[in-house]
Amino acid sequence: MNLAVEEAIPRMVGEGKSPSTVRFWHNSNTIVIGCFQSAKLEVNMDACTETGTEIVRRFTGGGAVYHDSGNLNYAISLPKGHRLVPVGNLQSVFRRLSEGAVEGLRKLGVKAKFEPINDIQVDGKKVSGAAGSIRWNAVFHHGCILVGSDLSILGKVLNVPRAKLEDRHIASVQKRVTTVRDELGHDVSTREVRDAIVGGIESCYGVRVESGVLMNEEVVLAEELYQTKYSRLEWNLEP
Amino acid sequence: MIATKSERLRSADYKAPGGKLVRVRLKEEQGLIRSIKITGDFFLVPEESLGKLEKMLEDAPLREAELRLLVDRFFRGTGAQGLGVSSDDFVKAILSAKETI
Repeated sequence: MNLAVEEAIPRMVGEGKSPSTVRFWHNSNTIVIGCFQSAKLEVNMDACTETGTEIVRRFTGGGAVYHDSGNLNYAISLPKGHRLVPVGNLQSVFRRLSEGAVEGLRKLGVKAKFEPINDIQVDGKKVSGAAGSIRWNAVFHHGCILVGSDLSILGKVLNVPRAKLEDRHIASVQKRVTTVRDELGHDVSTREVRDAIVGGIESCYGVRVESGVLMNEEVVLAEELYQTKYSRLEWNLEP
Repeated sequence: MIATKSERLRSADYKAPGGKLVRVRLKEEQGLIRSIKITGDFFLVPEESLGKLEKMLEDAPLREAELRLLVDRFFRGTGAQGLGVSSDDFVKAILSAKETI
């Protein structure tokens, strides 16, 4: 249902029915694959069964990410042409709309920086990956931040193709990622990270973020999208 | 993907320099692409346009000049925007597809 809500909000923002929105959420053990990825190629199905990991496809491109309760997702939906991203170019969307999260992580003491194409890294290790789209008359950007995720499961459930590892001169997916907790050297809750990112967004973009709940129309649309798309194997697992 | 007797399956995992991974699985018959599936961790907007590219490549010869023309026409015609993948990357990924058993 989380991925259905993820699509419902920018659709409503693009229609002018919802305000510009920042949403925070997390899933229990789930692999979220990019819309162009092949589940069969990217995911170790046996390891998913063994670890009780679900597989869901999102509507944006990019690579597979592992979600668990130690992971914080943020999603920004703006109407197209918004002052923060006036140019309809995906790279500028990623760069500009990652700045709030980078600033938030820095406020916590993590030496985060945006690394094109779509990463936030700390000393060359990825702590957050972003994806996004420009559609439905909206600009959409979402990212997942590894706060205290179980990286040992991540290494098991994702198949990282040899071509990708060789290109980055690294031995495994586990070695190229880090968590906020590991970088700080102490426990940190997803709530603390969320609050820091809200602060980062406010100071970076000169906006005020007000907390709220989903609007009724957003819930209705999300339920429809869940029934017709995100709960279906043909969307999640094919091709 | 299942091939008939006269068809050959070809596949490639092509890493775009400084970009993303493009994975190609195709059926080739007498030098022509009979069907093709392109997957990967790249970005392309509008997202639905990838299906159009795959359709345009059906029955295309597996030759660089023709492929380049088709992929360029796809980007011009649809106004699609790639990130982490270019027209050249799609062509190179398709041409690098090797026969699989």
